[in-house]
Amino acid sequence: MKLISRLALACAMGVVSLATLAQDKVIRIGVLMPISGPGSYFGVQDKEGMELALEHLKGMASGYKLQVQYEDSACSPLQATNTVKRVLDQFKPHIVIGEECSDASLAIAPILEQNKVVQLNAGSVTMKLTESGYKYVFRIFPNAEQQSGPLVKVALGHLKAKTAVILHEKTNAGVDNAEGFKKPFEAAGGKVLAVIDFGRDVNDFTSIATRIASLGAVDVLPTFALEGQTVRLAQALAQAKVVKGGGGKGVQMGSIWLPWGFDQKAGQAAEGYVRIVQFDPGENRKMVQDFVKAFKAKYGADRTPSHINAHAYDTVMLVAEAVKRGAKDAEGIREQFSKFKNVEVTTGKITFDPKGQNSDLSVVHFVETQKDLSWKSINWQQ
Amino acid sequence: MYLGCLYVMVALGLTLIYGVLNQINFAHADFVTVGAFAAFFTVTRFATKTLGLPDAGAYLVSLVVALGVGALLGLAINAAVFAPLRERGDELRPLIATIGVSVLLENAQLALFGPIPYQFDSPFARETIRIGRIFFTGQSVLVVAVSAVSIAALYAFMRYTFLGKALRAVAQDRETAGLMGINPGLLIGLTIVIASALAGMAGALLGPVLVLTPFAGASVVVKAFAIVIIGGFGNMQGTIIAGILVGIIEAFTVQYLGSGLIDLVVFVLLLAMLVVRPTGIIAERKEENV
Repeated sequence: MKLISRLALACAMGVVSLATLAQDKVIRIGVLMPISGPGSYFGVQDKEGMELALEHLKGMASGYKLQVQYEDSACSPLQATNTVKRVLDQFKPHIVIGEECSDASLAIAPILEQNKVVQLNAGSVTMKLTESGYKYVFRIFPNAEQQSGPLVKVALGHLKAKTAVILHEKTNAGVDNAEGFKKPFEAAGGKVLAVIDFGRDVNDFTSIATRIASLGAVDVLPTFALEGQTVRLAQALAQAKVVKGGGGKGVQMGSIWLPWGFDQKAGQAAEGYVRIVQFDPGENRKMVQDFVKAFKAKYGADRTPSHINAHAYDTVMLVAEAVKRGAKDAEGIREQFSKFKNVEVTTGKITFDPKGQNSDLSVVHFVETQKDLSWKSINWQQ
Repeated sequence: MYLGCLYVMVALGLTLIYGVLNQINFAHADFVTVGAFAAFFTVTRFATKTLGLPDAGAYLVSLVVALGVGALLGLAINAAVFAPLRERGDELRPLIATIGVSVLLENAQLALFGPIPYQFDSPFARETIRIGRIFFTGQSVLVVAVSAVSIAALYAFMRYTFLGKALRAVAQDRETAGLMGINPGLLIGLTIVIASALAGMAGALLGPVLVLTPFAGASVVVKAFAIVIIGGFGNMQGTIIAGILVGIIEAFTVQYLGSGLIDLVVFVLLLAMLVVRPTGIIAERKEENV
């Protein structure tokens, strides 16, 4: 009997150890994204990208299970703060991916920093996120200066612009992008005729377009707003004969904010639109083409992935890459991220600078909307 | 001006419901959105493909469809939610129920249509009319025309028809109207149907202007609430004047102050009205027995 008891005890201990070991071999990924409200525009696409990545990885990386928990932060700083505190308390993630909106991302950054949990951001633009000295924040999305800087160079160098009207949404992201264009443009001798901001609830841009038409000759109109508003704005500017799409002379300029499919929605008003893109579904790179094929296979042949899908996909792949390189916990992930150099993803290559910002913009390039509403890549040096 | 007319279309429904029920309908924005989607799918899936109508005809048909869909939705929700709660003699529960209906409708549309904006183009929005530097589209003209006809029809209905008079009687004194042989429940239902139909059609007119998502209606209904207060709670004429005034103020604000200040200006106007003339532009005359 004593032997049987000892054997039973040994088996039980073995099972418990295995269970503990299995529990240890898990990387917990908290995802804060807007699932409800108007911001769900991002959340839905983020989730699609992440689910595709998890499917590709079969939910594992180097023997570690990637356990993902999605939480709704609604693009709201208050909700994001409450949600991240709850996630930290209950789920104890090693890394948090999010948020999309700059205001919400800024709200959670200090909390994650304090808890020594990595924040991987793939959608916010505000400079403050990586300029505030956080050691645990990493961002793969180009920041405001990285997006606006090339626009200024092209506006001055290639488009020979002397005047500009800057249009932006009234958020941290919009303000940062607008400032990122205005300062260098004026420093180089350009004249900004107006900086026009608007809330995310503004739908009718007729008055704004009329106002711009009254300002005189405008060479370029850099615009920093979400897809829906940019479509309406482009149409109003075309009707006001301010931009090329309406027979005017002004060139609308856009950033990475605009997804694939914008041109078709805006129609002829988008003709002549010049913008920078980071994710181009037509790019010949094998990784991009494999991603596009897998996306279409999963979500429908009539769907083309957007940069939001691609960035979200890349975040999960980067976590997996960090784990493959030896990361087992938050500190390990942070350490591996800091060492990343030219790690290839669908949106280009990742090399984090000391502030946690991806400094590789090698795939970022310009495109111009043609008469048939297709993109034409332009080889303009930035 | 056309923006003002759109606000009036949305605000009139709110005013009607408040006038008869003394209640705010928080789901009104969602009726507007449902109307916009109904019009969108009528144009893109039915009128052009199945009926083979030209774009302009398809869009005009969609206005009627949106009106009908709004009315049916109002009828259904009143029968299922509001009327049973009202029968219990409770004033608060129907009000809270409107919040629940709003959440339900918004999330149902989110589940059905998704959050990515739909591109709803009206052929009238493509036609541009210029006067000097000012331009407006055919859509603006259509909005003003349809709004004017709708408002005139509603006014005539309320003033000259038996049902309209009965409705006004119920708004003044529900109990006495009931004693006079008027069925208050039926007329309240009719009010909700008319208000919802107006909201639906407003949605169809707004569709080509809005960024069409399940949250589209919310962007206009906040101003509609302000208009109802500025115009005078439950007062149709006041709502019409206030709506047009707010639309014009909005346009001038964008031109001379900046579009970022629209909300500030409108709500300063609202606060000023509450301080100076809390009963609204046209105050409702209430008689009291002394």
